[in-house]
Amino acid sequence: MKLKEVDRTAMQAWSPAQQHPIYLATGTSAQQLDATFSTSASLEIFELDLADPSLDMKSCATFSSSHRYHKLIWGPHSMSSGDRVSGVLIAGGENGNVILYDSAKIIDGEAEVIIAQKDKHTGPVRALDVNMFQTNLVASGANESEIYIWDLNNFATPMTPGVKTQPLEDISCIAWNRQVQHILASASPSGRATVWDLRKNEPIIKVSDHNNRMHCSGLAWHPEVATQMVLASEDDRLPVIQMWDLRFASSPLRVLESHTRGILAIAWSMADPELLLSCGKDAKILCSNPNTGEVLYELPTNTQWCFDIQWCPRNPAVLSAASFDGRISVYSIMGGSADGLRQKQVDQLSSSFGNLDPFGTGQPLPPLQLPQQTAPQSVVMPLKKPPKWIRRPMGASFSFGGKLVTFENSKPPQQPGMEQQQQQHPHVYVSQVVTEKEFLARSNQLQEAVQSQGFVSYCQKKMDMALADFERNVWAFLKVNFEEDSRVRYLELLGYRKDDLKKKVNITLQCKVFLPILLVDVYGIFSLLKAPAESDGSVPNEGDEGQTTEEEFLGETLKDHKKETEDLGPAKTTFNISVSGDVDGLITQALLTGNFESAVDLCLHDNRMADAIILAIAGGQELLSRTQEKYFAKMRSKITRLITAVVTKNWKEIVQSCDLQNWREALAAVLTYARPDEFTALCDLLGSRLENEGDSVLQTQACLCYICAGNVDKLVACWTKVQDGNSPLSLQDLIEKVVILRKAVQLTQAVDPNAMGALLAEKMSQYANLLAAQGSLAAALSFLPANTNQ
Amino acid sequence: QVSVINTVDTSHEDMIHDAQMDYYGTRLATCSSDRSVKIFDVRNGGQILIADLRGHEGPVWQVAWAHPMYGNILASCSYDRKVIIWKEENGTWEKTYEYTGHDSSVNSVCWAPHDYGLILACGSSDGAISLLSYTGDGQWEVKKISNAHTIGCNAVSWAPAVVPGSLIEQPSGQKPNYIKRFASGGCDNLVKIWKEEEGQWKEEQKLEAHSDWVRDVAWAPSIGLPTSTIASCSQDGRVFIWTCDDASGNSWSPKLLHKFNDVVWHVSWSITANILAVSGGDNKVTLWKESVDGLWACISDVNKGQGGVSAVAEGQQNEQ
Repeated sequence: MKLKEVDRTAMQAWSPAQQHPIYLATGTSAQQLDATFSTSASLEIFELDLADPSLDMKSCATFSSSHRYHKLIWGPHSMSSGDRVSGVLIAGGENGNVILYDSAKIIDGEAEVIIAQKDKHTGPVRALDVNMFQTNLVASGANESEIYIWDLNNFATPMTPGVKTQPLEDISCIAWNRQVQHILASASPSGRATVWDLRKNEPIIKVSDHNNRMHCSGLAWHPEVATQMVLASEDDRLPVIQMWDLRFASSPLRVLESHTRGILAIAWSMADPELLLSCGKDAKILCSNPNTGEVLYELPTNTQWCFDIQWCPRNPAVLSAASFDGRISVYSIMGGSADGLRQKQVDQLSSSFGNLDPFGTGQPLPPLQLPQQTAPQSVVMPLKKPPKWIRRPMGASFSFGGKLVTFENSKPPQQPGMEQQQQQHPHVYVSQVVTEKEFLARSNQLQEAVQSQGFVSYCQKKMDMALADFERNVWAFLKVNFEEDSRVRYLELLGYRKDDLKKKVNITLQCKVFLPILLVDVYGIFSLLKAPAESDGSVPNEGDEGQTTEEEFLGETLKDHKKETEDLGPAKTTFNISVSGDVDGLITQALLTGNFESAVDLCLHDNRMADAIILAIAGGQELLSRTQEKYFAKMRSKITRLITAVVTKNWKEIVQSCDLQNWREALAAVLTYARPDEFTALCDLLGSRLENEGDSVLQTQACLCYICAGNVDKLVACWTKVQDGNSPLSLQDLIEKVVILRKAVQLTQAVDPNAMGALLAEKMSQYANLLAAQGSLAAALSFLPANTNQ
Repeated sequence: QVSVINTVDTSHEDMIHDAQMDYYGTRLATCSSDRSVKIFDVRNGGQILIADLRGHEGPVWQVAWAHPMYGNILASCSYDRKVIIWKEENGTWEKTYEYTGHDSSVNSVCWAPHDYGLILACGSSDGAISLLSYTGDGQWEVKKISNAHTIGCNAVSWAPAVVPGSLIEQPSGQKPNYIKRFASGGCDNLVKIWKEEEGQWKEEQKLEAHSDWVRDVAWAPSIGLPTSTIASCSQDGRVFIWTCDDASGNSWSPKLLHKFNDVVWHVSWSITANILAVSGGDNKVTLWKESVDGLWACISDVNKGQGGVSAVAEGQQNEQ
């Protein structure tokens, strides 16, 4: 399929393989006059832009030259990698001159683009080739058997490969060996080819067909086999390509006779040694396999002869051909259809119509189906055999469960000359890729724990291994779930230990004498506390530090007090019931009349709280609660609110309004007092508050609340928010906790074990996927949520 | 880290070009220059040849398993310009559809995410990409993107089915509004992203970074993150990781994973999208993983050490 064309009668040279993007240089051909009979000459550089669907090539630079060219090559000498155009254009001129151009300067439009030139040769320089191994070495050939080896680093003095061959003849082709750097071959229209060894500085072998009708127009070394080369003949009587092996130089190894008239040029693909291009006076461009002689492809051309043909070194599917009708065409040998271009126009058309409903018919236009292959010649068949470069030699693909399927073809099967061992069939390997060893190990531990029900020891182990305090805390909390008397344990974890408290209380009691007023207050409060605690019948005996201190402390105080009363009692010292007008008197009067309410009011008024409350107890439940309210309204010490909550059992209030820095205390209070039915809700509430707080430390603590609450879903949500949940190990961190907590919840509260929130389900699936990806399929299945369809 | 658990002797008589496990990892499909496609049962480390599918008239380049919800379906593409869809019915594998709409070698086939139905994307050396959609009753509808990649498309890979803007799966019953996309790579050195709009496929993005043929592209599976990721590898030895963070899919940025010394033929993501297997022309497979700081590191060489390429090269030298 034709990709591009340029109207020039010119010699052509592709940019070297290292060059990106790809350029094509053209130099006005010396042999042909174009239609205008113009004698001007130019050197042009075009860019091969395959993204542009048009046939035009973008001209990048034009340099008006005083020379016309017989040969043009583009060597990679002094090339720098990168997007800069570089390398050296080497041209063979009409009058024995070899000219070096700086391609970068041509592109830049500079006036001085010639690096060097020498006219040492006799006659037109028709043959040029760059040594692939030492790119500074260029061989040139001209009339009278002249061959020079130029060193681009020292251009002044060329070398000769040896004594000139006799008889003197024109050199039409020259080529460096593709494998051995000091071997050079030259050929002439007389049909003789000479192979030179530059180390010996002499010809080592001459190849010629005995019938002497070969007129060599082309010479090419085998890209891979060092001893093989092809010669093409221009003679119409012998339009053949001969394949020679220097090891059997008496006659050609193979003769390709696909052309009907003389061959003008050949090009052997460096990318695939089975592809040899040839063009001839029969106006054909053929691609043959020189190893078999089979014609693989015939390029569709017009009836014009092509005099030059070149593979693009960088893009192995692209070639260019220069024809006598003044055109350089760029083709792809991968076939394809020119319909693409047409389709493109149609696409553009329909896109301007929007393809919606241009005629208001209420129906969008159906996609336009072009009639298939109306013009058969527009479809170009690809090569009969796939070129080497599209044969994928190996690959590795992942599949389910972290398995990696790899295949390789130990060696390219069609390597000629290789010792073919017993044909080994290609193998495919299935491998297990494990990248998360720690993850798997931990996952296994978790499953063992689940299976053996050894939750406590698992948690303990986790606690021992935990590096961060928080982590240890979380595991401690989880562990408590499996222990007796979990609430008490939670409290211990929060730092409230009964024994410790007792000690503290005792210490405090030592100094009670110094705090008589507090004592009195405390006494009053104690009685308040006692009442609800008894009526409630609930467990709690301790609360927050301050609270418990008082309570315990009150226990003691009570006894003391009783003692005091006892002390007082038996003494029976007479006392004076004063009914004087002062407060005491009024209270006395009120008491005497049984008016507790007034007495309490008076006491309150006089700030005698303890008296007021004791009186209120005597005055009955209603009075007591009223008095409590008044008391609370009046007292604003730090612990009042706590006491309020304890007395009124309004824990929601505490949880809702406590300073979050005191979350620990709040949680403790909830643990101590909350009824089982509201416990979960309160823990949740506290958790939510913590979670919504900006402070990340507090956010993490919310997890603890959720653990107490046994709220798996919220734990997951909170954890995900706080932690980076996407690395396998952090997912493992989460899942471990979740699994344990779920087990705990199942033990303590009868819940449907399969119920699972959306987020948790997602996390679980993710976890299962990970496990599966590491090859633990069975384990993965056990973690998959039962109610999802994965 | 990588241990061979099964070796399958495929008995192919020429080069293998692709080997793919089915969804469950129980069956292996291989294809070869010997024009055949073979299916093996590889459960429990065994290998039982289930089918030897003949029908292509040239080397078979790629095989692709359809999602099992559509039955046991395998697509293959070949140098013979054909795409064949094979189906297992009552235990025997038969050709169920043959697509001959390409003018040159078909190099790559890839099934769309199962959520879209049965859709196969095919990339060909004629530069076009075909989309074959099963419409029921053995009928396939063809859409063709002509001149998708000048002188050839080498690879196609679908984007995972993700509803834009939602990370969690939509509640069932409500048909999600998928945006269908796929990536392709070709001989024009480009990676292109195609998007379906009103039933038409439009070129949405052109990703330029490679300096030679793009040999393969692989769209990473979705793991619930809003980032889309594509890996591409090229003749120029480079592997790029392309990422796009915005939901509209317009700003892709490349990151060079590595520059190898030889052609890189194939890239493949693990199911969890965190490991990339890179198959290079030097017969080496390497596994790559992104570290927390966003750098890609080679975590493993999968080299079976069978002499490999270095030994072959030496052999050539000695011979001369």
